[in-house]
Amino acid sequence: MKPEDWLHKALGINPPWQISHLIENLSTSRLDVWVSLERPKSGWFFSQRPSAPEHTLPVWRHLNIGNFKCHIHANPVEAGRHNNLGWIGDDGQPFTRAMVQLIGAHFLAGLSIQAVCPLLDIPAADVWKLKHNLDNGRTSLNAPAPLGDSPAVDHIIPEASHAIWQQLLSGEFNLDIRVLSLKLLMTKLREQVLRIQDSEVHTLKAHELQRYFVRHAHLLAHELEQINRI
Amino acid sequence: MNQQNGLLTIAEASTLIESGHFMSIAGDETALRKLPPGHWIGGTIPYFIGSEGGVTTKDRVYVQLIECFAQPPRLSLRATDELPAICHEAPDNGYTLLIIPAFSEAHRLFAENAPNYEEMYMKPLVGWIAGVHLAELGTRKPLVVLGETLEFSDDKAAVIDVALPDHRYAQVEIVNPFRAAPTPAIRFPTSGFSAGACEIDGQARNFAEYLVSHQLDSRLPLVADYCGALINVSIRHIDLENGQVDFYAPVFAGTEYRMASPLTDYVRTFAAALPGALYQPEFACNCVLNFLYSELEGKQAGAIGGPMTFGEIGYQLLNQTMALLTIGE
Repeated sequence: MKPEDWLHKALGINPPWQISHLIENLSTSRLDVWVSLERPKSGWFFSQRPSAPEHTLPVWRHLNIGNFKCHIHANPVEAGRHNNLGWIGDDGQPFTRAMVQLIGAHFLAGLSIQAVCPLLDIPAADVWKLKHNLDNGRTSLNAPAPLGDSPAVDHIIPEASHAIWQQLLSGEFNLDIRVLSLKLLMTKLREQVLRIQDSEVHTLKAHELQRYFVRHAHLLAHELEQINRI
Repeated sequence: MNQQNGLLTIAEASTLIESGHFMSIAGDETALRKLPPGHWIGGTIPYFIGSEGGVTTKDRVYVQLIECFAQPPRLSLRATDELPAICHEAPDNGYTLLIIPAFSEAHRLFAENAPNYEEMYMKPLVGWIAGVHLAELGTRKPLVVLGETLEFSDDKAAVIDVALPDHRYAQVEIVNPFRAAPTPAIRFPTSGFSAGACEIDGQARNFAEYLVSHQLDSRLPLVADYCGALINVSIRHIDLENGQVDFYAPVFAGTEYRMASPLTDYVRTFAAALPGALYQPEFACNCVLNFLYSELEGKQAGAIGGPMTFGEIGYQLLNQTMALLTIGE
């Protein structure tokens, strides 16, 4: 594999998308990458001649490459039809979808914002912005579904960021539950949410509840019918 | 469910084992030690509900075959420190059946911590607590056994992990014949297998003193409502002098309990509590306290048989409850 192909793979950039420009800053350990459908000019990779990328495009913080902080510049209109791309972010968000997934995985593993920021070398302010967007449903920790591959059952289960999950945990809404494991899980999560005031933890517990529903959807027709009626 | 399941002689069980079947087996230690090596796990207990009703026997064993699986089940003995990963390591589609010796550290730690195990409630977990004949308490130890090696243990859990075909799924259910009586709410300030202080409708009291002064029947369990699942905690001993009550399962701080209403007819109440139409589960067990308090010895006790154990496992530790595992499609 050629080095430039490796870089595409590492950043999750697959055809027909290509890196059109790349600027590295060794002093700040920052890599800026422009992604488009255009064919790259020959000789751009590791070229000593500065390229002329478009600096007005939105920028998102992407997954790190070694010690380098990677920022993706791309046209969201161009990419907008393809909502399964991990290397681009949502409008107004600081991170690409892949980076949101990675941050979310750390949260779900129980790490706090204070722990995640130095681990991923990301600004706390941006993480708080992400958290705010999660709380308000403007973005999601769910992995984007591949195009044309949405299991029928998933579309009736609200996304993890939907307010319904926290409303179920707070007791604002109650379900008539028939499945034993859900009765026990709901009891445990409600007790934890009641006892722990951290809203970040509440988000994690809501995600855990949603993950249970996704996993056991085939058992939960009665419960999902009630959720869909709310 | 295979007609070969149930209370069998040593010879009958041995034939099944030597035929290569996978199974869980309950029986007195003397009976289990007569069985040949094979694909089975076992636990000690001499109390059963068989086809003839309630039976106490050291000569027969209760066999529950495992016949639905996508690949040969995995059998193991797990040390205490391995139990927290039991659900994490379970098959992605399947279930885990475990047997834990009563009064062991594994028993205590499972009872106190199981709800917080990784992936708990995400994957079906069922089983029971091994015991002994009540006349032998203190002289014989509850044991589990890994049939593949015939290793007996008083401090490990015997485990079968069963992976199911993609078109099948396992479901754990419980049948609790008890209902909470319209009595004061009881809360405990700390979790554990024993309690002194409590709150009765918000008023600080000593629980032992409360039980005795109100002449409450200690054969009736405490009942807690877990979003509609009624979970019992059975009373083991009341020490009025020291103001302590011991339980067969831990009470949890933050959980509201009520005393259970008495049962007038255990068998009829149990039959009425069964979910849906009569069906044969893949696995079932019940509680020795139900066997004793409802005087089931020699009586017909419903169509679902199994060992009458020192505790049941339906994800977490249960008391005076039937735990069931069914396989759906």
